[in-house]
Amino acid sequence: MNRSVRIVGVALAGTAAGIAAVLTTTDSVVPDLAILTAALVIGELVELRPAGRAPLPLSLAVVVVLVRAATPVQFVILVVAGQIVTIALRSDPASIPARLVVSAERIAEALAAGAAYRVVVETWTGADDRATVLGALTAAAFAEIAVADIVTAVRERRLAPLRNRAADLAIVTSGILMAVGYGGIEGKGDLGLWGPALFSIPLLAAWYSFELLALTRRSFEQTVRALAAAPELGGLVREGHAERVAALATGMGRELNMSVSELEQLETAALLHHLGAVCLDEPEPGDVLDPVRVAEAGATMLRASEELAPAGDVVAAEPLLHRPPRPTEGPVAALAGMVLKVASAYDELTDGRDEHAAWAVEALYTGPGYVYDGRVLGALERVLERRGALMPMR
Amino acid sequence: METSPKTRHAFNAYCFGLGFVALAIGVVLTFTTPTPDPVPMVLLGALFAIAENRCVLLANNVAVSASLMLGMAAVVVFGTSGAVLGSLVVGMCGALYVPHFREHKWSFIMSNVGICGLSALAASSVYAALPSGVTTSVESQLLIAAPIGLAYALFNFAFLVPAIATGSGTSVHELVQGFRLMCWQVYPFALLGVLLGRVYLSLGAWIVPLFVAPIFIARQAFASYMQLRAQHAATLSTLVRALEAKDRYTAGHVERVAKFAEYMGRGLEMKPAELERLRYAALMHDIGKLIVPNQILNKPGRLTEEEFDRMRRHEHVSVELMRRIDFLAPIAPSLEAEAAKGSGADPNTPIEARIVTVADAFDAMTSTRAYRRALTQEVAFQELRDKAGIQFDATCVQALIATIEARGERYGSGHEVDVVDFATPPPVVGTGSAGLGDLASEQHGAR
Repeated sequence: MNRSVRIVGVALAGTAAGIAAVLTTTDSVVPDLAILTAALVIGELVELRPAGRAPLPLSLAVVVVLVRAATPVQFVILVVAGQIVTIALRSDPASIPARLVVSAERIAEALAAGAAYRVVVETWTGADDRATVLGALTAAAFAEIAVADIVTAVRERRLAPLRNRAADLAIVTSGILMAVGYGGIEGKGDLGLWGPALFSIPLLAAWYSFELLALTRRSFEQTVRALAAAPELGGLVREGHAERVAALATGMGRELNMSVSELEQLETAALLHHLGAVCLDEPEPGDVLDPVRVAEAGATMLRASEELAPAGDVVAAEPLLHRPPRPTEGPVAALAGMVLKVASAYDELTDGRDEHAAWAVEALYTGPGYVYDGRVLGALERVLERRGALMPMR
Repeated sequence: METSPKTRHAFNAYCFGLGFVALAIGVVLTFTTPTPDPVPMVLLGALFAIAENRCVLLANNVAVSASLMLGMAAVVVFGTSGAVLGSLVVGMCGALYVPHFREHKWSFIMSNVGICGLSALAASSVYAALPSGVTTSVESQLLIAAPIGLAYALFNFAFLVPAIATGSGTSVHELVQGFRLMCWQVYPFALLGVLLGRVYLSLGAWIVPLFVAPIFIARQAFASYMQLRAQHAATLSTLVRALEAKDRYTAGHVERVAKFAEYMGRGLEMKPAELERLRYAALMHDIGKLIVPNQILNKPGRLTEEEFDRMRRHEHVSVELMRRIDFLAPIAPSLEAEAAKGSGADPNTPIEARIVTVADAFDAMTSTRAYRRALTQEVAFQELRDKAGIQFDATCVQALIATIEARGERYGSGHEVDVVDFATPPPVVGTGSAGLGDLASEQHGAR
């Protein structure tokens, strides 16, 4: 059953529950709650997927509306009920225990939102005051994101970076706006369910854009990786060399505080740094390709396109094994080139196997200082220590 | 675009005239209508200018910007109070397009002052003229958003037509087409604009940043998407060029195959997304040649058995590489199968693979290769027609021949663009339709 069928199913079920509630109760909030719960479940199935981060379900925004519409008891019941339904409907992750973990996370996030909302409403005076409502909704929205961050930090054992938070901001602002539209403020601007429905349009637009971006990013990465494999399939380079060097180099780049875009260029350069080999004549048996010529051929190829030119600069800076970097190379390309050089040399020395790590690092340290930069070697050591390939020095 | 001094004068006169008319109306309105609230005027005006400067250009040259939404918000806010001067001022902020100032394009700036200001003013007057009951409930707002938004876009368009007609060579027909393309984005932005106007009136200025933030974020993500897509296309072209540089005997082959594939795709009325995938498949169909050593690719004489095997392996590598790219993976296996046993006419083969087969064969026949000279277009067409339904898909063959004939293009002997200097002149023999297949039958008759 594909996702759109499930979404339509949930929407129909929610509408039916809403109609049933209108017919059976006099409480005007109950139908709204039925529809909001359906929206919560749908929001679980639709995720914002920013690059390099855990996906954010749109349900995070719906929770902010629900926390305002429901009493605390209703809120807890509906959140748990919504998550139980979601467990059955989710297709990713595949296994039931993994889905339970995800749903438990979501419940924790929603409860944090509920608690934050209550605390602000109870402690700040004047329950319908603009500052109170806005403060409480903002607290609720941020509480969810904070819990999601903590969960991610525990799972990945590193703090989520504060940069690249556009997707979170879209969720937070839309959630607050949808909730404001639901109840209005000081008796004004109450649009009922139209509020969350209409104010979700910008969020859906953001979701669509992120979706297109994620799809294109994946095709792009796959294209680069497929091309990276070409020299390997041709037997010109050891198998898996490009992928291993890319993983190691980006790890080292992160240690050296390179920016996201610099890391992307470094990764592309690392994946394609042997591509030049396919342009050169095959060496006579027993001969090897000249690394400087390989890099120059590859860099020429990459520099032909504006978008890949920075990666081309990095590739060009890489192979200058026996001389200091040229002064004309930009500092970024020079640093990235050095990272690539060290990562590639490490992979050559270890034959792609980490058990020779200590020996390889020692060999790199004994090379001339201008060939293997000390800072870059330090970054290599830290990455290897984290991987468990190298014993920590201190 | 070269324009005569006369039309240039007409263009300038229209631009400046429109701008001054807008400014004059502004002065008159200052004394005749209620003074607009400065807070929304500054806020919406600033956002309007930002939106104009941050528009995203789509592939078909249609610009998407949130300025329509902000204009509509101004229409609602100032139309309600009757202070339509506010709409005029907010609209005029659309002229604050930084590149125009940097390049001193004063006529563009003045025309934008006129076009954006007057269309916002006109839409606002229409809104103000509506009976007050129509504009209060949510449901009626949903309904009025469409006509008001369309009116706003139409005013904009009406003021724009003379400017573009005199300023550039664009025909009115093309303009109308562009306008029709733009219409699909009017309603969502108009609806959001009306909504923003209403919540502004009932809740105040603090709601605006909450409203604008997700839209701005959506815009940023969309712009990144457009950029990445271009980057993806450029990457592939770059690598295809690299491939061409490696194999100079088939110079231009891949780009031509992509072109013929596009002819067929358009002839078969494929959608833009399908055409994009087709183009990528066509560009990638020979990518495996990257691994064939230059010495073999460029060898003028016959290949040894071992060399020939290495040459054949490239088809397998092309497929292996395409398999690693999700959106090409469904086509990949059939490209290999088609290359191996000629299933180009099998209706179960994906259409992209059938198209690439025909494109590849047609270009191979109409280009001079190391082992034979190019055939004439007529002979190549005849060969395609003869094998249609057997080796090639009949509809694809028909679409290709029809398109090439309709465009009046000529390929093949006597019309080759990339003529290669061969050390040994290629023989004038062989009508076989596949590049490598020929090589096999001529040199290894029994294979």
